[in-house]
Amino acid sequence: MSDIHAYQSLPGLRQHDSRPAAEGPLTMRGLLRRPWFIRLVAVGVLVFIWQWVTWVNTRVPGIDEIVRFMVTEMTGGSHGGALTGEFWEPLSLSLQRYAIGLAVGIPAGALLGLVIGASRWARGLFNDTVLVLLALPAVVWAFLASLWFGLSSAGPILAVILTAVPFVAVNLAAGVRNIDPGLVEMSRSYGVPAGRRLRHLLLGGTLPSAFTGLRLAFMTGWNSLLIVEWFGATSGVGWRARFWYDALRYPGFVAWIFLFVILITVFDRLLLSPLERRAFQWNQQPTLTFEEEL
Amino acid sequence: MTTAPTVAPGSVSALSARELRRAAWSRWGYRLSVVAGWAVFVGVWYLVARFVFTPQQLPQPHVVATEAWDVLTQRDFSTNIQASILRVVAGFLLALVLSVGLGLLIAYSKWWRRLLNSLLLFIVSVPTVSFAILSLIVLGISPMGPIINAMLVATPYITMNLAQGLTGVDRRLIVMSESFGRTRPQIITGVLIPSSLLSILSGARLAFAVAWRMELLTEVFASSEGIGFQIRRSFESYDIRGMLAWAVLFIIIMLLIENLVFRQIERRLSRWRSPEVGTTQ
Amino acid sequence: MATVLIENLTKIYPPTLNHARQVQALGGLNMSITGNVFVAIVGPSGSGKTTLLNIVAGVERPTSGSVRALQEGVPAQIGYVFQEPRLLPWRTVVDNMLYVQDRKSDRSRREAEFYLQMVGLSEVADLYPSQLSAGMQQRVGIARAFLVNPDVLLLDEPFSHLDALTGRSLRDYLQRIWLQTRKTALFVTHDVTEAVELADRIIMLRPGGVAYDDIAITLPRPRRPADPAVRDVQDEVLRRFDAMGAAVRFGTAQAAR
Repeated sequence: MSDIHAYQSLPGLRQHDSRPAAEGPLTMRGLLRRPWFIRLVAVGVLVFIWQWVTWVNTRVPGIDEIVRFMVTEMTGGSHGGALTGEFWEPLSLSLQRYAIGLAVGIPAGALLGLVIGASRWARGLFNDTVLVLLALPAVVWAFLASLWFGLSSAGPILAVILTAVPFVAVNLAAGVRNIDPGLVEMSRSYGVPAGRRLRHLLLGGTLPSAFTGLRLAFMTGWNSLLIVEWFGATSGVGWRARFWYDALRYPGFVAWIFLFVILITVFDRLLLSPLERRAFQWNQQPTLTFEEEL
Repeated sequence: MTTAPTVAPGSVSALSARELRRAAWSRWGYRLSVVAGWAVFVGVWYLVARFVFTPQQLPQPHVVATEAWDVLTQRDFSTNIQASILRVVAGFLLALVLSVGLGLLIAYSKWWRRLLNSLLLFIVSVPTVSFAILSLIVLGISPMGPIINAMLVATPYITMNLAQGLTGVDRRLIVMSESFGRTRPQIITGVLIPSSLLSILSGARLAFAVAWRMELLTEVFASSEGIGFQIRRSFESYDIRGMLAWAVLFIIIMLLIENLVFRQIERRLSRWRSPEVGTTQ
Repeated sequence: MATVLIENLTKIYPPTLNHARQVQALGGLNMSITGNVFVAIVGPSGSGKTTLLNIVAGVERPTSGSVRALQEGVPAQIGYVFQEPRLLPWRTVVDNMLYVQDRKSDRSRREAEFYLQMVGLSEVADLYPSQLSAGMQQRVGIARAFLVNPDVLLLDEPFSHLDALTGRSLRDYLQRIWLQTRKTALFVTHDVTEAVELADRIIMLRPGGVAYDDIAITLPRPRRPADPAVRDVQDEVLRRFDAMGAAVRFGTAQAAR
């Protein structure tokens, strides 16, 4: 069976640099090295690539068109003909489904992961099943969910749950198994009670992989939500994108896809990353300045 | 003076029955629980198919298995499968070439590392379905969509692992080589490449799994052949049996490639490692 | 008064996936330690020293035989200093100490700070372990062991991962605290000179976990390593240690002495 560590996050990317960047006088060279400037360059590269594509392929709408369309959509203005903008309803419906799916899927996956991580026997029992669920493409879950539940909200919600569970479970199980056995021995030799062990040892030890699992669950859940809504719903972000695609209004279609990407990125930056940074305060470089006294 | 030894080192007799049982359990019990796990998986599937859903909604496992066998022996299986595999391999190889360049930039230039880090992180954090849908309008229904998307999602994984492999090389080994007067090419082939190869490989393995899924998803949206297209066609004709059969084949192919290609290469490359390091499972 | 009674203690590890043969860590060990003594257990690697401490601490179970660590007839409170610091990296120094402490109050925090001060670390209570040097982390480990007010103190080569100078300064700290508290201590090491500097009694183990020699050290405290009297005893113990090595090599271990 494939390795349980597959689908974890990229190496080297999540390490938070807690040291603030040195703020020297603003020279040209210094400016080039500022993190925000480099991020600006990255955004510029992406915008440039997109505009280059619109120039090569006339079907692809330019960014100005996309923005104009989104504004009309948001303000409920007319798109021409009988079509009027619709924004908050599809968005809030999708977010609702997403939230319900995650609220069920994450705890379920966490429970499964803890059991698999804690007991060898449970690992043998569930490991392969979880890996099969993990290997099953999200699109299959999405199709199954929409065939089972038709056009109701149950399909999208189920798809979010089913994609989130294995990601949380696999990562949490790996986290539990990676807890330093030396620390477990230490706790046992001092007779530390179970409640305190749970809070300080298990929670602290599994936090890094829990975050990986959480982040993947958020992403893949959002992903399969869009797929279900695209193929089998009459409401939501995915449906709206499909609607404009079928109407051959490409700016509208691309605008919704962009919104979809922007939402998850913003969510990651505003919620997950700060939480993660807080949780990893302890992972700092040595800051002590005084020498080891002899 | 203390006692004389009662047991010679390495003798069998002193192991208690309880510990012998425990040792046997640790060997066979785990395998037993794996078998039990599969039995439970298939059993639950049977029960759900039998009592919760109609056969149209969820066919029983053996029905899916025979359907998968039928698909395997069909003629259009080989065309679809060939199309999918060729595309993912093409995308993967393109990603490999691209990653060597990007990985070198990241490993040896701080400015490029920052820039590429944020770009690659962005690619990884974009839900894959948006790539699939965007390729539908940028490239239309063509084999280029799956190839480009597979390349796009595989690149970050290979690049970051390559860069990490290169920067993680033991500096002391390089100093040692220099002190013995080894030339630059000798250091590259003797130290740099061998010690970063395993890290590159683990990145490549992950990248392939991700690319394979991306390729499938793109085919669902923007292709007229391939496994993904077949899954979509089954879905549109309410043929859950066919859909699951194709999905099972998709997983089997992925496992075959992983175990027959990547595992073998990894085993070959990691012979110099001590056994404790390599066997985590 | 604490007692550690070890009777016919045997520990055999069954074969594992990585190790095809079973391994005997301890072979019928007998030992009786009573009162506030500092006992050093010396032996080469493979003589079951760590296994012995783990069994006394209740972390591992013996294959046969028994271990009883008692304080006035009831199970003794154990304080364990490991080879590595074994601190929770995600908790601050003081939280790491309170983690093993049963009572949680202002008083126990003050107590923790008191023991930190004893090992010369009064200013690091709210730092994370990763912010400390290896030697400082090990000192936190020592302070943690004393915080639980142990009846029996177990020390498993606590200085072996440190450089020689840091190790020496930590030995001084340990000796000073021990002189103030006089806990029954089992100190495992492969370094004979270290054992002579700290212990009242040295028990030598040979490979396979069999007791080979039992030496009483009656030097006055505090002991300085440079002291000629300490040097003499160290030489004597080292000679016996070498004799054990030769005896093991030539298969005459039991005939020693």
